[in-house]
Amino acid sequence: MKTLSTPEAFAPGYRLDKGIHDEMLDETGRVRPHWSHLMRALQQLGPREVGERHQEALRLLRENGVTYNVYGDPDGINRPWQLDPIPLLLSGDEWFDIEAGLLQRAELLNLILADLYGPRQLIKKNLLPLELIYNHGGFLRVCDQVSLPGQHQLVLCAADLARGPDKKMWVLGDRTQAPSGAGYALENRLAMSRVLPSLFRDTHVHRLARFFQSLRAGLNAIAPGDADTPRVVVLTPGPLNETFFEHAYLASYLGYPLVQGDDLTVRDGYVWLKSLVGLQRVDVILRRVDDNYCDPLELREDSRLGVPGLLEVVRRGNVAIANPLGSGVLENPGIMPFLPGIAKYFLGQTLKLNSIATWWCGQTRELNYVLTNLERLVIKPIYRKPGEHSVFGHQLSRAQLAEWRARIKARPAFYVGQEYESFSTVPALVAGGYEPRQTVLRCFMVARADGYTLMPGGLSRSAPQYGNMMITNQTGGISKDTWVVATEPQHPAIPAKRSSSLAGHGNALPSRAADNIFWVGRNAERAEGGVRLLRATIKKLFSNPDRDSPDYQLSLETLLRCVTSMTGTYPGFFAEDNESLLLTPEAELLAVVVDESRAGSLANTVNRMTQSGYAVRDLWSSDTWRVIDEIEEQVSEARRLGKIGLWSMQEQMDQLITTLSAFSGLVMESMTRGNGWLFLDIGRRLERGLQLVSVLRTAFAMPQSEAAETRLIESLLDTSDNLICYRQHYRSNLELASFLELLLMDPNNPRSLAYQIARLQEHVGKLPREPSTRRISAEERLLLEASYLLNIANIDDLLSVSESGIREALDQQLSKIYALLAALSDTLTANYFRHGDAPQSLS
Amino acid sequence: MRYRVTHTTTYRYQQTVGLSYNEVRMQPRPCPNQQLLSSQLKITPLPCDYRTRTDFFGNQVAWFSIREPHREFVVTASSEIQIFPQPVQLDLSHGMSWELVKEALWNDRSEPLLEARQFALDSPFIAADAALAAYAQASFTPGKALIEAIHDLMQRIHRDFTFDPEFTNLATPLTTVLQHRRGVCQDFAHLAIGCIRSQGLAARYVSGYIETLPPPGKKKLVGADASHAWFSVYLPDLGWMDFDPTNNQLPGDRHIIVAWGRDYSDVTPLKGVIFGGQNHELKVAVEVENLGA
Repeated sequence: MKTLSTPEAFAPGYRLDKGIHDEMLDETGRVRPHWSHLMRALQQLGPREVGERHQEALRLLRENGVTYNVYGDPDGINRPWQLDPIPLLLSGDEWFDIEAGLLQRAELLNLILADLYGPRQLIKKNLLPLELIYNHGGFLRVCDQVSLPGQHQLVLCAADLARGPDKKMWVLGDRTQAPSGAGYALENRLAMSRVLPSLFRDTHVHRLARFFQSLRAGLNAIAPGDADTPRVVVLTPGPLNETFFEHAYLASYLGYPLVQGDDLTVRDGYVWLKSLVGLQRVDVILRRVDDNYCDPLELREDSRLGVPGLLEVVRRGNVAIANPLGSGVLENPGIMPFLPGIAKYFLGQTLKLNSIATWWCGQTRELNYVLTNLERLVIKPIYRKPGEHSVFGHQLSRAQLAEWRARIKARPAFYVGQEYESFSTVPALVAGGYEPRQTVLRCFMVARADGYTLMPGGLSRSAPQYGNMMITNQTGGISKDTWVVATEPQHPAIPAKRSSSLAGHGNALPSRAADNIFWVGRNAERAEGGVRLLRATIKKLFSNPDRDSPDYQLSLETLLRCVTSMTGTYPGFFAEDNESLLLTPEAELLAVVVDESRAGSLANTVNRMTQSGYAVRDLWSSDTWRVIDEIEEQVSEARRLGKIGLWSMQEQMDQLITTLSAFSGLVMESMTRGNGWLFLDIGRRLERGLQLVSVLRTAFAMPQSEAAETRLIESLLDTSDNLICYRQHYRSNLELASFLELLLMDPNNPRSLAYQIARLQEHVGKLPREPSTRRISAEERLLLEASYLLNIANIDDLLSVSESGIREALDQQLSKIYALLAALSDTLTANYFRHGDAPQSLS
Repeated sequence: MRYRVTHTTTYRYQQTVGLSYNEVRMQPRPCPNQQLLSSQLKITPLPCDYRTRTDFFGNQVAWFSIREPHREFVVTASSEIQIFPQPVQLDLSHGMSWELVKEALWNDRSEPLLEARQFALDSPFIAADAALAAYAQASFTPGKALIEAIHDLMQRIHRDFTFDPEFTNLATPLTTVLQHRRGVCQDFAHLAIGCIRSQGLAARYVSGYIETLPPPGKKKLVGADASHAWFSVYLPDLGWMDFDPTNNQLPGDRHIIVAWGRDYSDVTPLKGVIFGGQNHELKVAVEVENLGA
């Protein structure tokens, strides 16, 4: 293969500053050998094609719902994940050294952790100052003398690396509590290997899948002794957390239930998962909740993310947490200068991989150095609080420098000064060309029973601008895939058996997940029914309006009231003095479509649906998630079109109906018929039944002229997709009796009430039940009653008009059935989704 | 002197509590001047899970969980303790100067000093700041014996501050106490500890009980006693020595130690997380009976 020598051809003007190491080019401006294949291939593709592949990768990531939440930013929730298409390349030789250094570091951190919560020899022997550890918010005294079975206390760890001007790799920091990023690294890899398949294959890149197999093995290894096949759960703070996507993704990839604190409970000295079928014992918790928040009894009492009593179960050895509570004590940059001494003490070795030069201000000499050189250093607190960033001395004004000096002098033990290095640069795609960007690499390690394993690759992040050294996701860093280039072709690992969606959870579906799924079903149906009715109403309003005909006007008004009653957006068209509202209904209709703040509006319903969906993100296939994403997009589009006017939205509504139908279709076709699916379909059927009943009541309880009712029937048939069906069945004029028959009693019409009730009866019969002496469950009783009312109803009776001038039988029967269905929803909630009271702390 | 201490805490809830997790630190810990003769903890309703352990500071902790639905929760700790009064006659003018003690504290690596050093650091309720240092300064004049400086500080706090149970609660910050010069025993202990730490010295928080004497000619009222708090300072030549700023005295044989830590947060007598209950009413009754020598 011809080697590519200079970047002129593909990156004219690629900047190479003196004193800054570039990963792709050597000092003479030549492309390094392990980069040449990639750069040549990119050159052959051409900037346009690379740009297109990049967009394709971003689209894949977005459609897979890969997001990152940024705190304090109104648009920060579910921000799409940013990926630069040029990976960071590392040669096999370089990686060999990095691996040796990182594995040594992981062993060392593990020994330190065991010592700090055990004999504390390091403090007694003056290898770690007491003030450095005891002043750190991550040193949890309640975790003293608590340990995991086996050799390894530190199950997972991550390190941020960057290359300095001296060409050496430096460790910038360690993540030892709940390191994030491994899931994003995997998603980046999947996207890259899809958009650049041949390039990826020919570059002989090390595969990542084995790392996740090690993670699974590592978690099994720490399970309490008597667990044969340990139950592992992933504990997340919830959908608002910055890396919630990753929690859901890992849970789904590894086949573990994703749970929040109140999905778990402590009982009889064990931790249990509150599942649909009762309590299931949990052996291992992979936590993504910070340790201080894990047990409101013994740790932060204001935490709502934890499990009261958890620490005591850990203490008894009945549950293992990865990483153990208290491991945050190692996330302390002040420890770094002491690592060489500790390595000598514990391992008899020198440190293979250096940490970036760090001065802990708790010592006089170091304090003086930091105070004197503050403008050249980075200031970091030893204990990082969320939202706190490093401070760069060179960015501070004189007054600010003086302030910082005073702050450090007042509490020197709480700060370090760190060298400010120019990290090495990596090419990034910027405005169609390649530019160098400072890049930081996060590497991941996991402990198996036989030692640590390093993920061959990692999550690289590059600065948004040249020269920017503050590279974090929270501040706009852009991720990159990381390719460790092997000399041999790499064979894909045999993919671990991946339990698709709900199958893996079996009966252990957490109650909260069932709750969310139920509401996804209800809101999806509510949205679909709502759009159908709104579309029919808008159509009636704009196509061939027959304003002069009283029948037209009457049927339109009734239809408008149906919109209000079906969506529950009261008072709406039921408002008193609503004459003008009924004559010019556009503004109100528009609000029912796009006003997110209004409960029941389409935008609001879709919002609720996606929120519930997001909370159980781990349960959806990527296809399903793509459709959910599409639904959200279309509602945003509708909102934009709404500014033009109501009429312009008709086509958008057609599309939305198609997408919502695609969602139900996908779910029908691809979801395993487990408890999750049952709850989804129960939600859907229940909502469809409720909508139907409320529309029919609003439309026909008050009799109108036959002509007006005919028009109404036409519109309603249109909404329920039943016009063709009706014509086929009856081939006659549109008359109310047959219409009601079709929508209420016809057992074969999938939109009829009888059909919904029959399906609900089937589903409810399959729900898990506590053994009881009762022959039928409360849910079954409610449905039996609804079914009975429907069966004994007689169309002639329903149509008869009473003395008071209304169809009293129709009105009453429908309202009874409505009440029964509403009671069914409440009963399901009470029996299956009840999370109990929120805990409170005694004071 | 022998004592029997009965400490009863009663919670009455507005609504039923279906589940609770609790931690209790009410059993007197072992320490040089006192011996625990007997101790029992009575909990109603009966816990379904109960364990005891020793915490980071060597205090006795009972952990339990209650699953029986209840509207009233009662914990009664009864202990019999033998107190051996400190035999030392304090000679305030002798002993190491506070500067020398400070020097030793930060440089000597012997185990007792290392153990003491953790109590020189800030803790959840006590951050040594400039205001505390300024108040402390008058007591810590150059070359003064540590014991004399502490004694002086205790006397000043007793003189300058008003005992006022209405003014503070658990959440009142130390700066407010210092500013308004009011508080209860717990505040005075925190205040003294903050002052001492502001000078680079170590002090710890002690929780316990004190025998109260009825006014002359009156009978003592049952349950009229209360939990008490004071502080302790490490003197390299004498070990830990207690000071009670609320009563302006060196605890002798009328103070019963339950637990110690960096501040109140380490020795909270009763902690809990409950499910249900809504609002609650809390009643605490302490009785210290003197059983004679």
